[in-house]
Amino acid sequence: MIKKVLLTIAAILCSIALFAQKNDWGGVKGTVVNRAGRAPIAGAELVISQSGEEMASAVSDAEGKFLIENLPNGMYDMTVRASGFLDANVNVTVEGYVKDLIFVGMVPEQVVTEVDDSNFAEFDMDDSGFEDAPSILFDSNDPFTNIASFGFSNIRFKNRGYTNESQDVYLSGVRMNDAITGYSPYSLWSGLNEAMRSKESTIGNEVSDYGYGGFNGVTNIHAVPSSVRTGWRFSALTNSALYRLRLMATYASGELDNGWSYAFNVSARIGGNDWVRGVYYRNFAYYAGVEKKFGDSRRLSFVTFAAPGQRGAQNASTQEVYNLTGDNMYNSNWGYQNGKIRNSRVRKTFEPVTFLKYTSTPSDNLEASAIVLWRTGKNGYTALDWYDASDPRPDYYRNLPSYFYMENEDFGRLNFEKAAWAKDAWVNDIPEYTHLNWDRLYNINWNNYDENGLRRSKYAVEERRVDQNDINFNASLKWIASRYFTLTGGVNYKWNRTEYYKKMDDLLGGDYYINIDQFAERDFASSPTMVQNDLDYYFEHGEAQVLHQGDKYGYDYYAHVRNANVWANGAFDLGSFKADLAVEAGYSRFWREGLVRKGLFAGLDDDGNEIVYDGKVLTTYDQLTGKVITSKGNSDISSFLTYSAKFALQYHFDGGHRVYATGGYFNDAPTFAQSFISPRTRNSLVPDLTTVKTTSADINYQYSNNGYNFRITGFLTNIADQTDMMSFYDDSQNSFVNFAMSGIDQRHLGVEMGFKLPLPVNGLSLAGALSMGEYVYTSTPRMTMTVDNSAEIVYNDQPVPYWSSSPVFKKTVVDGETVYETDLSGDPVIEGYKKHYVPSTPQLAADLGFNYRTNSYWFFELHGQYFANSYLDMNPLYRTDWIVAGPDGVVTPVEIDELTSQEGFDPVFLLNASIGKSWYIDRKYNFGFSLNLQNITNNRAVKTGGYEGTRLADSETMERYYKFDSKYFYMQGFNYMLNLYFRF
Amino acid sequence: MKRIYIISAAALLFASCEEFQPVFTGTYPDPQEQYIYTDEDFGNKFTSIAEVKDMYAANGSKPYVVEGNCVIKGQVTTSDQVGNLYKSLYIQDETAGIEIKIGKNGLYNEYKLGQWIYVDCSGLTVGDYNGMINIGYDDPSGEYETAYLEHSYIIDVHVFKGAYDDPVEPVVVTEADLHKKVNLGRLVTIKDLKYDDHIFLLAYVDPNGNRKDNSNRIFIDEEGPDNYGVDTWACSEQKWKEYLNAGNFDAVEAPAGTVADYKGPNGTYAIGSMAYSVSQYFKMGKTNVQVRTSGYARFADTKLPQEVLDGTATVTFTGILTDYKGEAQFTLIDLDGVTKTDGTQWYN
Repeated sequence: MIKKVLLTIAAILCSIALFAQKNDWGGVKGTVVNRAGRAPIAGAELVISQSGEEMASAVSDAEGKFLIENLPNGMYDMTVRASGFLDANVNVTVEGYVKDLIFVGMVPEQVVTEVDDSNFAEFDMDDSGFEDAPSILFDSNDPFTNIASFGFSNIRFKNRGYTNESQDVYLSGVRMNDAITGYSPYSLWSGLNEAMRSKESTIGNEVSDYGYGGFNGVTNIHAVPSSVRTGWRFSALTNSALYRLRLMATYASGELDNGWSYAFNVSARIGGNDWVRGVYYRNFAYYAGVEKKFGDSRRLSFVTFAAPGQRGAQNASTQEVYNLTGDNMYNSNWGYQNGKIRNSRVRKTFEPVTFLKYTSTPSDNLEASAIVLWRTGKNGYTALDWYDASDPRPDYYRNLPSYFYMENEDFGRLNFEKAAWAKDAWVNDIPEYTHLNWDRLYNINWNNYDENGLRRSKYAVEERRVDQNDINFNASLKWIASRYFTLTGGVNYKWNRTEYYKKMDDLLGGDYYINIDQFAERDFASSPTMVQNDLDYYFEHGEAQVLHQGDKYGYDYYAHVRNANVWANGAFDLGSFKADLAVEAGYSRFWREGLVRKGLFAGLDDDGNEIVYDGKVLTTYDQLTGKVITSKGNSDISSFLTYSAKFALQYHFDGGHRVYATGGYFNDAPTFAQSFISPRTRNSLVPDLTTVKTTSADINYQYSNNGYNFRITGFLTNIADQTDMMSFYDDSQNSFVNFAMSGIDQRHLGVEMGFKLPLPVNGLSLAGALSMGEYVYTSTPRMTMTVDNSAEIVYNDQPVPYWSSSPVFKKTVVDGETVYETDLSGDPVIEGYKKHYVPSTPQLAADLGFNYRTNSYWFFELHGQYFANSYLDMNPLYRTDWIVAGPDGVVTPVEIDELTSQEGFDPVFLLNASIGKSWYIDRKYNFGFSLNLQNITNNRAVKTGGYEGTRLADSETMERYYKFDSKYFYMQGFNYMLNLYFRF
Repeated sequence: MKRIYIISAAALLFASCEEFQPVFTGTYPDPQEQYIYTDEDFGNKFTSIAEVKDMYAANGSKPYVVEGNCVIKGQVTTSDQVGNLYKSLYIQDETAGIEIKIGKNGLYNEYKLGQWIYVDCSGLTVGDYNGMINIGYDDPSGEYETAYLEHSYIIDVHVFKGAYDDPVEPVVVTEADLHKKVNLGRLVTIKDLKYDDHIFLLAYVDPNGNRKDNSNRIFIDEEGPDNYGVDTWACSEQKWKEYLNAGNFDAVEAPAGTVADYKGPNGTYAIGSMAYSVSQYFKMGKTNVQVRTSGYARFADTKLPQEVLDGTATVTFTGILTDYKGEAQFTLIDLDGVTKTDGTQWYN
């Protein structure tokens, strides 16, 4: 409303000015834009003053335009303020006419600070078991995400408790979430911070211009050359958390007179860090794009980029190991090879993405675009493989003191002396025992001669490859039908074929390896066919394949995914009241295509007949469905029709107040990764696959005015019918099993709040963020467990009764012994039930701090943070009836207590600070630095996640099972990051 | 302004010159070859295996923790490659052979047949298992007299790898010498044994349950021509199921009646399955020799030669001669140790 009034005043002044027609009066006009990307900034306040006295003011309109007239000739200072941007000061000379300043560029706050999302995106710990993405998305204008996006990433905060897969990430309008897993694929462009800087985000259920999105926001990265900041930029960054050095260069031409624009961005990230040994980066990245504008209405852009390189990964260990080494950042993945540190787990990637985009704006109210995007390349992850030899991992449980001695005699681990030796090896950090012993592995291979004088490797390094080919066609439309109604919509099609296989990476001094399944050999040693990874090869050659470096082995299959969807959003704009209604329909198909015939699951031959070898039928059948179990060829096709709808309503009040609410129903197909029981070995699908159904609603209040910014949101989301697939060694079955769990429901209820409060000192503000929720499991899922090697069904469609809660028993401690109280009938007294929580994110996160920015481009930030109510990921096996009952089949309160309860992490307080400064030289050159200090109190006891063991420890009494120790990830202690940049 | 440049140049220097250690990303150098121990490393002073074995009796037939300087030197005579030996190996010198309870999988990868091994016995325990003296670690649980060494650190300070050498030639042992102390734990050949139509195997109703509890044990001990149809050296989990489901053991006494009583209406048995060791009995002259084979051995499900089962042929074994509570027991290292009288292989 103010805006309108001001504009009216401006218009009146303008008309007065027209009448005046005096040459000693004049004015200024122009468009307020974001210096990055030239996006117009609406609602910017412009104040013209002379000698400190305010002379006139205006507010930019929806297109960023402003006009100030009726000014006496002279020199003025013009201050421009807009939320999310640094104040801009412009010297204006009025010389008898309305001077067109064309653009008044504003610098987003984050550009100067350099502590932005693009940096935290690189703080991801992808390979350490964390997801390959920043924990939440970024919106510089929102007071909550402004803090949470960077400030909460170290603790692995998940926005509203949602998983990474629920975040939709678009690149130039194409949804980039992984076709197989759903993960957001930030690693594809990590290191290309400048080229990918320009982006737009929505929060929660909000509808985006780029796609339908889900319930956890949409981020669209523009990625076209014209969106890259014009000019040269060089930066050097060093940090203690990830890699030693990052060098980056960027150039963008901006739009040239001939309609061309082009841009490139290259970077290198190299070195290790101060905290985790063995972790290193040797990553490079490139981006090149060219764009041509034809006439006024059409644009064609072509872009290609990739982030090739390799990096060493981190691993989680048990608390016992961390305590023995005195280091919560201990990493078991590496060891010395002739004195050099070598990591066994290296992520090697080269996945180029290329797209061609056409945009047409035939009229002011219509914009249409079409894009084809192709992702290809290779993604490998190395690991040790060994055949009939002892487990080489240093933190294998049999290498730890607890394996030899436990105070609880029921473990039957009584050998204190052996435990002392084990402890000695760890405490004194004798590298042969506390790290991988590469020298030993080589020597074993070197000395393992066969009858032909060749050396068969017993240890090798395998590379697990996930090579994607992903082609996307996408068309979208935005039609401003009237000032009241805008329609956006689009169609998308994704074709994905991903090949999964293993490659022999390094024979570690040996001459060859053999392509057989050693786990099958353990169980079926006497069967020459069942141990074959490639049965057809065996039939053809009479022996298993002899492998050399670079050969494929183990498993080899395609995941085929086809997704199509159509969506539309109608936006109604009735001035103060706005409404959106969006709908989406999708069709998703996927199947597995085995490229080799696994001996365990031979299936049928090409003519559809049973396979017989040496008088034995090799073909096996599913116990439940009676269908043939196959490993080669196509599986059944899973297809799902999905539909979703959502709405948003908002009302603007005078004075910067806004109330809005959103709601939606979402129906998502399960991903390929959740749908196959044992995709490495066979075509069997998880039984009763169904779509995930989500309902989500939120209500919000926002106030934004005069530098004040405040938002509070209440949200409630129910997610139903999720599935999960696990494979592990089950000690109660003495075999590898596949555990398929379905019907997992969860509820996310909470409040989210953020504010920015300018303080009386110029440039100083108080900012804070709070996220407080309860994210809990609400259902009793069902599970089916099969033996990996034989498909034999161990448990079919059984409940997991302790998944969503565990009972709390009434108990007292008598002489140090816990006694469970019983009622008159002898049953234990249950006082209540303790909920089980969605893990690996703090459910309470708070941040409060001061930000100080000076007119001379200094900035200082100091923030305190508090995180609480974070929980450990649960293993459902420990929540089943039969594991709780133990070998004796009798359920006791102590078994329920110890096996089913969920571990919570301790609350955490953290202190972070940033300082930075930017200099302008001759208005042309810009030089600056930023220094970011994290976890200043050097708190090294902060658990950020982890997982429970899957195995069971014996009990001497044979009355119960004990859990194996959980493994944890910890946050690093004090870290710095220094960035220097130069731009012109 | 100049100052800014200097500060920034210094900062850039600081950023880039910080060493990239401790990370190495080049081509890794080949590791050091393992050290091969020689007699000199132990001052050429060795205790004989027989002397070490005698320490047990000298200690009142109780587990004896060796004190002082005591290094034995012997050649490896066994391999765990086919899985009939597990976590243990035997070494022998000219005086005797003995089991070293090392406690790792895949020992054959590191200790080759014929290779010289030095064992520093100081701090290790000499103990007995049903008549066989072995070297291991102290076992405070009392379940066994010795425990496995098991942890690499313990192994590395007691067991040292010496030079490779040709495999040890087996000693031919006659019936009369079957119980001679010097032959126990040694690689031997015993000739012309006759199949005795006798098997023994101990199974469990629930292999995960208490194995010491008689209500969980099924003794399958059969003398007679059919042996419940168990004609293999042992039985793997699969073979056990095969025997069980074929009804072979229906008549066997079980904790509740007979095995047949555990059969459900759908034909499956309420009896767990796992790999089971089997003793197949032979006669060397008049002396019983039980050939005990692990269900985890790769040849577990291999049938005994038909002529041997029929009693129309005798068999010659090469392997480790042991003693089980005073009875001669024999451990095959692999099926190459099963030959005909003329020395040719029964199995190829």
